[in-house]
Amino acid sequence: MLSEKIQKLLFILPTCLFLLIISIFPFLYSVYLSFFQAKLTKMHKKFFIGWENYYVLLFEDDVFPTAIKNTFVIAFSSITIEIILGFIMAKIFFEIRHIKFSNTLRTITIMPIMLTPLCVGLVFLYILNPTLGIFSYILETVFGIEPFAYLGLSLPAKISVIAINSWQWTPFMMILLLAGLMTVPNEQYEAAKIDGANWFHVMTKIEIPSILSFVLLGIVLRLIDCIRLFDIIYITTRGGPGISTEVMAFFTYRTEFRSFQIGSGSASAVIILIISLIVTTIAVTLLRRVEKNEGLS
Amino acid sequence: MKASVRKNVILLFLATLITFVFLAPNLWMLFGSFKNQNAMFALPPVWIPDFTYIKNFTIMLSESYRYLINSIIVTICSTIVSLIFSLPTAFGLTFFKFKGRYFLADWILSTRMLPPVAAAVPLFILFKYLNLLDSLFALIIVYTAFNIPFAVWVSASFFKKIPIDLIEASRIEGASWFHIFLKIALPLSKGGIATVAIFVFIFSWNEFLIALFFTVSESRTFPIFISAQVSQAQIIWGNVAAATVIQSIPPILLTIFLQKNIVSGLTLGAVKN
Repeated sequence: MLSEKIQKLLFILPTCLFLLIISIFPFLYSVYLSFFQAKLTKMHKKFFIGWENYYVLLFEDDVFPTAIKNTFVIAFSSITIEIILGFIMAKIFFEIRHIKFSNTLRTITIMPIMLTPLCVGLVFLYILNPTLGIFSYILETVFGIEPFAYLGLSLPAKISVIAINSWQWTPFMMILLLAGLMTVPNEQYEAAKIDGANWFHVMTKIEIPSILSFVLLGIVLRLIDCIRLFDIIYITTRGGPGISTEVMAFFTYRTEFRSFQIGSGSASAVIILIISLIVTTIAVTLLRRVEKNEGLS
Repeated sequence: MKASVRKNVILLFLATLITFVFLAPNLWMLFGSFKNQNAMFALPPVWIPDFTYIKNFTIMLSESYRYLINSIIVTICSTIVSLIFSLPTAFGLTFFKFKGRYFLADWILSTRMLPPVAAAVPLFILFKYLNLLDSLFALIIVYTAFNIPFAVWVSASFFKKIPIDLIEASRIEGASWFHIFLKIALPLSKGGIATVAIFVFIFSWNEFLIALFFTVSESRTFPIFISAQVSQAQIIWGNVAAATVIQSIPPILLTIFLQKNIVSGLTLGAVKN
């Protein structure tokens, strides 16, 4: 029989090595590349230029600062919408949880979460199409608004991206907060009833405080997703019109695989990486805390 | 009594309305997949299409079955390989008491949070150097790496439910760790492992960014094929709708199985059911 120590190593070491090669090496290599002037098509001709790529991206580039701004505008708007609607929906489903039919409804409602993001983008590209889309038809027949290219104008395009993103992820916030509401001890509701508290008091004094850690967890997990937002942008707007829906991940893709500027692209990737690391550190701490408390705050 | 019934009816109505909001767009795409070009552009819209018109599906399947098969191979292989790596590691992190195991677990978790776009160029160069670009093998390797952290964390959350006494009793009887892992931990966590497998399957199935970077022709996956349909000057929406429906079938079916574990999975095991 193998010694205790070797047995234990065999359980853990392969995964660590695998992750080192496929996950850690690439990120370090990105950092390295970000200090070079390099083209993907002429890799042997790269030369060291220090912080130049970062300086240009942050202070001289016309697009990258907008991409950062757009990423956060989309992230904050989507997450805010998701939390507010998610909470209302969680509350409704919580109140009718004893009715069997509500389980079926809930299952259908959470479908979008697991759908291929690309497909979600396509579904809305189809709906928002100005000539054959159902959205145009409803807008025209019900409200008398002439159809226009919703994804071809700056503000409507931005709103559409936020709406698509929120549509896919509000159900996630809903079931997360629903799980949170389930942890509120029944006695607290009973006590509130005896004290004659109204629904607003129950919500602000009992429910919101007890689901706060769930809300925080939701925010952080969604923030990590939004920072890497790519698929929906790629299929619906391609960052346009102009640069009005340009986001960080899409900018990086264009720089690296359309202009082949991998030095500058890597610098942009590293900036995304740093932002992600900050959010991740918070996320890991939070996950540990929520897990230790068995989901109770 | 009456008031509470009325309240329930109103709430149930609202819940149905909500469900409709999240169902309708997909349903509309499904209906679109049965429309020919005329029905597509008809005004007022054709609300209920002719469901016997399946030409969109036959065209898409005959053009794309290669890419669909690619997607299936990559998804199944990376799911299996992810589990082969992750289950023993999750077991180790749960039951071995060694220094730095929390740090190791956190480190594994944090690799999950890194944005894939930041790894794309280095991996592209690595696989180009190994002459593995545009191969299914490269995709399987990368998807596996991206899924391991998730699989380790969520499996660990299931292993934690095994009574520790059971493990210790076997240790005292002289069972090896391999034996305990294969004969006790795995059978007791069957449901949990199935959950992890389904999640990993869906993540791989849905992946787009890395496939877009890595696949040129031969190894294109189904999502890449779909996105190419939209880049054409004249989009044939019936075909796009059919392809979207095909791509959506596995996630929709599998979500039904996940149901109760979906929160737990998406929060990496932090929230219990």
